[in-house]
Order: sequence, then C-alpha cells, then structure tokens
Amino acid sequence: MKTEKSLDIFLIGVGGQGLLTIGEVIAEAALALDLPACFYPYKGMAQRGGLVKAQLRLGRSAVGPNIPPQGADLVIAMEVSEALRAVRVLRPGGEFLLFGERWLPTAVMLGKAAYPALEVVLEQVRAAEGRDIYLPPDTLPSGLPANLFVLGAAVGRTRLGDILPAIAVEEAIQRRWPRDPERNLAAFRAGCRNQE
Amino acid sequence: MSSRKLLTGNEALALGALHAGARVITGYPGTPSTGAIESLLAMEPPSVYVEWSTNEKVALEIAAGAAWAGQRALCTMKMSGLNVASDSLYSVAYSGVVGGLVIYVADDPGVSAGMCEQDSRGFALLADLPLLDPSSVAEAYQLTRLAFDLSEAVGTPVLVRLVTAIAHTSAPVEVGEPLPLPEREPQLLRDIARFTKAGAAICMQQHRDLIVRLEEAGRWLRQAGLNSLQIAEKNSHPRLGIIAGGVVNAYLEEGLEIATRWGLDPRSVSTLRVRAPHPFPSDEVRALLQQVDMVVVLEELEPHLERGVYVEAHRRGFPGRIVGKLDGTLERVGEYDVRHVVRGIAAALGFSIPPDLFAAETEAEQLAAPRPITVCPGCPHRGTFLAINRAIRRAGYRRDQVMVTGDIGCTILGMNPPFDTVWNEVAMGASIGLAQGYVHAGVKTPVIATIGDSTFFHAGIPALINAIQHAVPLTVIIMDNGWTAMTGMQVNPSTDEEFQPPGGRRVDIAQLVPALGVEHFFVVDPFDLDGTTAVIQQALALPGVKVILSRQECAIQAQRRGHRAGTVRVVPENCNLCKLCIMLTGCPAIDLGTEAVMIDSALCYGCGLCAQVCNRDALVRISE
Ligand code: SF4
Ligand code: SF4
Repeated sequence: MKTEKSLDIFLIGVGGQGLLTIGEVIAEAALALDLPACFYPYKGMAQRGGLVKAQLRLGRSAVGPNIPPQGADLVIAMEVSEALRAVRVLRPGGEFLLFGERWLPTAVMLGKAAYPALEVVLEQVRAAEGRDIYLPPDTLPSGLPANLFVLGAAVGRTRLGDILPAIAVEEAIQRRWPRDPERNLAAFRAGCRNQE
Repeated sequence: MSSRKLLTGNEALALGALHAGARVITGYPGTPSTGAIESLLAMEPPSVYVEWSTNEKVALEIAAGAAWAGQRALCTMKMSGLNVASDSLYSVAYSGVVGGLVIYVADDPGVSAGMCEQDSRGFALLADLPLLDPSSVAEAYQLTRLAFDLSEAVGTPVLVRLVTAIAHTSAPVEVGEPLPLPEREPQLLRDIARFTKAGAAICMQQHRDLIVRLEEAGRWLRQAGLNSLQIAEKNSHPRLGIIAGGVVNAYLEEGLEIATRWGLDPRSVSTLRVRAPHPFPSDEVRALLQQVDMVVVLEELEPHLERGVYVEAHRRGFPGRIVGKLDGTLERVGEYDVRHVVRGIAAALGFSIPPDLFAAETEAEQLAAPRPITVCPGCPHRGTFLAINRAIRRAGYRRDQVMVTGDIGCTILGMNPPFDTVWNEVAMGASIGLAQGYVHAGVKTPVIATIGDSTFFHAGIPALINAIQHAVPLTVIIMDNGWTAMTGMQVNPSTDEEFQPPGGRRVDIAQLVPALGVEHFFVVDPFDLDGTTAVIQQALALPGVKVILSRQECAIQAQRRGHRAGTVRVVPENCNLCKLCIMLTGCPAIDLGTEAVMIDSALCYGCGLCAQVCNRDALVRISE
C-alpha cells in the first residue's frame, strides 16, 4: 500500500560516479529502520562513463521493482545531460535533485553532437511540473566523494529526509565503511548542510 | 532462527541453494545470472565445490554428474546459456536425478544486457521439467530451497527462472537456517536402462517415466501451495479474475490500488498468483474460472500461461473473456510494470485509462547527448580495433569491403564508434563460423573473425577446427585479455595461473592454436599499434587459416592490482587541438582543454595508443 512513508526514487548518472552506492546506502539505512526497500540498479555494461540508472522503492511491502512513467516522487540526477532521460519518470509535483556535473561524450568533444545547457534541463523539469533543486558541482568541498555529498543533499533538502533521518543514513555509512567512514561521512554532512 | 538481510535476487538464490545443502555448484557467467556464483565464490563456503566452467553445457554436465552420484547440485546460466546446455538438459531430464539438481536460468525481458528476449519457460515445456518462477527477491531464496526438495522428491531436475528485475534487485529477505543435511557418500549407480540411451525401448521408457515425474511434480507443487488462489471476498458484477506469473505478481497490489479510481474494489477481484508455471497449474486455474466471469492473464514475454488458460477454458466450457496478449491487449516485448496490470484490468472491465496517466513524455530525452558505450580507458581491444582498421586500408581495401565478424563480450564494443570495426553479433563463438559462411558465399575480399578469450574457449574452438579441417581462407583475431570481462571479471582458462583456483592451470592459447595445425600463427601486443597493424596486414595476404593472438590483460583488472602500462604526458606546446587522438581512440581519459588536450591521470592506464596516433608529438609515453 502506498503510505506516507512510501517514496519512489529514480537515480541517474554515468558510470564511475558512484551513483549505485547512493541507492545501496539508502536501502541499507531503510532496512535498519524496518522500512521496506526495493532497489533495482541498471548497470548496462562494465564500461566506465556509460549510462547508469536505478530505481528505489521505499515503504511498500509488496512492490515491483519498476517505477512507471510519471511515478517517481524524487529523481536524483548526477549528470546534466543524462538528467533529461529521467524527466519522463518524474511525477508532477515531484522533486528533481540535479548535481550539475558534466561528462562530455566523445562526439560532443569532437563537435559532432550537441550538449544540452543546464537551463534547458531545468526548463524541462519545470515543464514536467517538477520541483528542481540544483546542486552546483563547485559546492562540493574538494577531496570529498560527490555521491555521498549528493545523498546528503537529498536527505537535507527533499522528502527523503522526512522518512529517512540523517542519523540513520550516517549509521548505514558507518556500517558500510567500518574502517574509514570519515571521508564519506564528511561528504554526506556537507551535502546535508548545503543550501546552494 | 531466521534473520532479515538485504540481498539481490542472485544472492538470495545462491544462499537458498547453499542452505538446501548444495555441494557442487557450477555455471558460466552471463548477465543477469552472474551474481549468484560470484556471491558464493566470495563466501568460500566450506566443503562446497564452486566453479566457473568453460561453458554452460560443461557446467550442466558436471552438476548432473554430481546429482547422479547422489549430491545436491546447482547450475547457473543466462538464457542464452540454456540454449548451449539444452542438448544435455533433455537427456538428463529423461534419466532423472538421484541427488537434487536445480538449474538456475536468468531471463532478461527489457534487454539490460543486449541479447534475445528469450522466455526460458519454453524450455521447461520442451524438456518436460518443472519450473519455478519466483515473484520477488525473498521468494528467490525460499523457492530455490524448495526446488531441491522437489527435485529429490520426484527425482527430476528442476529449473528456477529469475528475470533481471529480480536477479539484480536488492530487497530484504527472511533468511532461514541451513538445512542440517548429513554428509552424503557419493554413490556409483550402474543402471543402463536409466543412465544411457541404449535403444528405442529404453528411450521410450525414459520418456514415459519423464511424463510420470512431471505429473508427480505437479501434485507436489499443488500440495506445496506455490500457486496461490485467492477468491474474492466480495461479490461484484462482472466478477474479475487475474492470473499473474512471476515478477508481475509484485505489481498487482499497486495496480489494483490505481484501479480503485474507477470504483473497482480490490476485494471483489479473485487472483491466482503463479510461481510454478510448469507443469501448468490446471486445478488452480479451473478453480479460478469457476468463480469469475472474465479473466486477465499477466505475464512477461510469451503467453505461456495464457495459452494454458485457453485450453482449460475450452475444456471447462468457460464462456468469459480472456484478456492478455492473444487478444492484443498486452505485448510480448519488454519488462512489465504496473501499467500492464492497469491496462489489463481496464480492458477487461471496459474502463478507459486517462491519456495523461503514465504518459511517457519523451521530448526531454531527445535533448540528451547520445552516449554510445565504448571500451574502457586503456582497454587492449582499442589497439586491436585501430590496427584492424588500419591494416584493412593499408592492404588496399575500403573498410566497407572487408567483413569483420563479431562475438560476445567486450570485443563486441568494436561495433560502436569511433571504431565501427565489427559488423555483427550472434552468439558465443559464432564469429568464426559466420566468417566461414561469408567465404563460402563467394566473398573475394579478406574475411576477418574477432573473438575474445573466454568466448574462444566457450564455443570458438570447434568452429576454428572446422575452418582448419576445410582449409577456409580466414583471419581469426583472438583478443585475449585474460578475463571474462564484460560480465564483471571472472576467471577463465586463459586467466593467469596466479588467479586460477588452487592447483588450477592456465590453458595457453599460444600453445593450443599451433597444436591444431594452424601454420600462420602470430602473437601481437595491441598496445603496439604499428606492430599489430603490420601483422594483420601481412596475414590478410596469406592463404589458408591465419590466427592472430592479440594479447594484453584487461586494463580494468590490471588497474585494480595497481598496475599501469606506462604514463602518458601532454606536451602542450605541440598540441594544436586537432583532436585526432580523441577522434581515433575515443578514450574517455582524454579531455579537451583550452590550449591542449588533457589526460585524466586517474583514468589513464598509460597504454600509449593516443601517443601513437598523435602526429605532432604532443603526447608522450613513458614506459613503466
Ligand atoms: S594512454 Fe591515452 S589512450 Fe591509453 S588510457 Fe591513457 S589517455 Fe587513454
Ligand atoms: S572491461 Fe576490460 S576488456 Fe572490457 S572494455 Fe574494459 S578494459 Fe576492455
């Protein structure tokens, strides 16, 4: 059953950004809170720099792994161009967190293909009646992992934080990196504090 | 005592087999099934034998041998692998098993891994074997345990099928205690009538026995209550029934919730959730048909259940409508989600779905920059593709005059830009056979076959032997990176001895191929672009079967051990930003700077290929 505690999240980015780790940490944190979680990653192939996406459905005990179009309450996008592929999944009124990193495909570097401007992406999100939350890449404190920073921003600035308190995520981070959680915790906390 | 764990479907299935007492576990990597054996290898369970086999047929034969000797055994593969193993599968099905034998096959509706959308439930039908189709990650654990019991209770191999959406999904699983199975002494049973196919009488008797076992399995499954029938609590008109198979069951609740918008009361719907589609659950379907006026059948891919429902409806004189694929409501392509449930219900009850519900706007998507997948930074295949392209031109041909057949694995990435080297892709080992067909068809220009090491061992060797035996003029390029890379780095016969299982040996392709009688055999280093190009060019002009072994370890795997092939530095004053290096290599480690290209030192493996294509000395490689 859909309840106040249910949240459908769609994650998108490119290989090498650690996007899937975000989903795994959320799912682990949810499990510890006894909140049902269903995390379906799409890895494509092993190659770096290719499209990566994942679906995470929180709070429903019986649920299939795929979120329907216009079904996601929250999109977490880590690459400007790839973010466009997630617009169709966003529910009208849903939140769209965009970390503004740009990974230029070869064809773009060679001038053979266009790369969308940030404004275009944000316009598309608004046209889909999404609430955009933009996270400039230069707000990431240097030396810290972007993925945990983005996760922090998702907890600090979207509905995810209402059902998953930051402390639960911090515990999940500690369990995942028991020997040296500090860098990841610092990135997560910086993300939580980020207000643009 | 049970505990709750977050597991993927693959991990859940593997743990289920382990807890059911499986002693021998074999398989061949293939997305989305790979994670099962990977998780077992990581666990190193004591007194359980786990291996990556040369191919799925070999894997199945090993597992079957163990099961004939009385042990419980698991064999894992993706759907393409079941095709390879099927010859032995049918035969073993006829003989039945002593110890439990479970075959895990992963189907890939929606094609996450670029292969056919094969529905392996069809194999169960062909081979007369029971098949379980878990509808969630948690069920992958439970049903795999159960599959071993069924296998031994009836004496038959049992198939467990997962789809990608279960195999790759992580969800909480109630994990039980391992079965306290006493150690079994292996048995040597001599029973010619059972374990051979000596003559028609024996084979036909085995066929009869097989059919009896399948019927027994049906009774066993009915008792186990795997296919759960829930008759509506509330009456309504018309009375709706839903039959859902496997993963689609997971979307029922969500779909019924949406259908309440049209006034449908979920309690007025009868459901049959099918987790054991073969043998067909006739009794349960009949019981459902007696209670409803119309039925919706929801299953991914082929209408297996639906056809059975038609048969049952015909036998029972069911007058109502059957909504599914055969009446054109739902499709046979792709993954299902809640939309399909809603569409099925709407079609049955005559609701019209508002056009904006689930409207998939694709406008935004079209503005995204295309991102074709390419090989990794430092991938040795990059050098081989570049060399093939150069050799073809230097031998005086246009690229569109020379057929380069492709195979499965990372080597197929040569089909993409910037290389555009490879023309086609069929199945493991198929490139070498396909190439011979082009030759026999009368192609006068050189024909090249490309293949990876794991693929070569899997199914390429018989095709190469065929070419040698029939003296087919052909250039075979084996791109040996020492790992089964595409599926996430598994050990194969070509992997360095250091990484082989304890006491295991490496099988050296450089010894194997000359031993087959190939006269023109060359070994090249794909990081040496000129050298590799020269050898390929030379081979194209030679008669008969030529084999070139292009050998360098997979860069990803080497980098994980901290290895680098060298260091490449940019000499900014020499770079005029002609972008030749980016255009030719497409290496993701090269970035555009404002004055010169830049190399991302975290990604760069130092293969030096960019330096070799640069004609202004703007990139220099320092060997390590
Ligand atoms: S040396 Fe050049 S081609 Fe090779 S990995 Fe580094 S940047 Fe890429
Ligand atoms: S995984 Fe290895 S073989 Fe595959 S593309 Fe990357 S470097 Fe090449």
